[in-house]
Amino acid sequence: MWFFILAELLVFGIFFISYAFTRSRHVELFNASQLQLDRTSGFINTLLLVTSSYFVVRAVAAIQTGYGKICSKWLIAAIACGAFFVVLKLLEFAVKINAGISMSTNTFYMFYLFLAFFHFMHVILGMIILGAVALKAWQGGYTTENCDGVETGAAYWHMIDLVWIILFPLIYVLH
Amino acid sequence: MIDIKAATYQWLILLMLTCLSFALAESGFSGSTFILPVLLATFAKGCIVIDRYMALRYVAGFWRLTILAWLLLVLGLIWFSFTRV
Repeated sequence: MWFFILAELLVFGIFFISYAFTRSRHVELFNASQLQLDRTSGFINTLLLVTSSYFVVRAVAAIQTGYGKICSKWLIAAIACGAFFVVLKLLEFAVKINAGISMSTNTFYMFYLFLAFFHFMHVILGMIILGAVALKAWQGGYTTENCDGVETGAAYWHMIDLVWIILFPLIYVLH
Repeated sequence: MIDIKAATYQWLILLMLTCLSFALAESGFSGSTFILPVLLATFAKGCIVIDRYMALRYVAGFWRLTILAWLLLVLGLIWFSFTRV
């Protein structure tokens, strides 16, 4: 699992660095385009993902003490945060599409839409993984001695959070 | 075993650092004096997630150092590219 997480981080890292160095050659274009983004939406999404990560930590703590159903409830809370993230992101995408913005609009939007959508797909996958883990935990499929599945799902979700923690300032804040 | 009280404090720190970055952006600051605190806040948040939430603090060696090095390298290169123009 850690190989997979490291591979994901390396891919995102290459895109982040590509964005930063491309921006250094088109500063005015990137700054002007960034002003059209909904920074408040990005801020709320950051709060949601950070909170979901905390809920996942609580889920791991619950299963480590043998409380499968409580673990499941914390995971469902984390998935709910992820679902709010998805809804806000879809609204953000819809606004851009309605404004006629696409990946071919300019270099900034090529990076923004690609990075945001790539991360968005990871959030969807993470929610599916957490959902499967929550179901198994509810059914008593994990014990204090055998809770690797919960810890692995948690590590993947934290990776998604870690990537967004960099993506938010890079795309929405720094100028 | 996870210390829930510590995890809760770490979550509050993550929320506060996020609010700090957002407030700095909304206040209209720009330039290197603005970029450095935002990136330092991002680094602190990343360290909390890696060390505490991923629990790599308790795993000595390769994985922790590699992921922390990834975070430092990415943020360092972002800082370099934003401040060289």
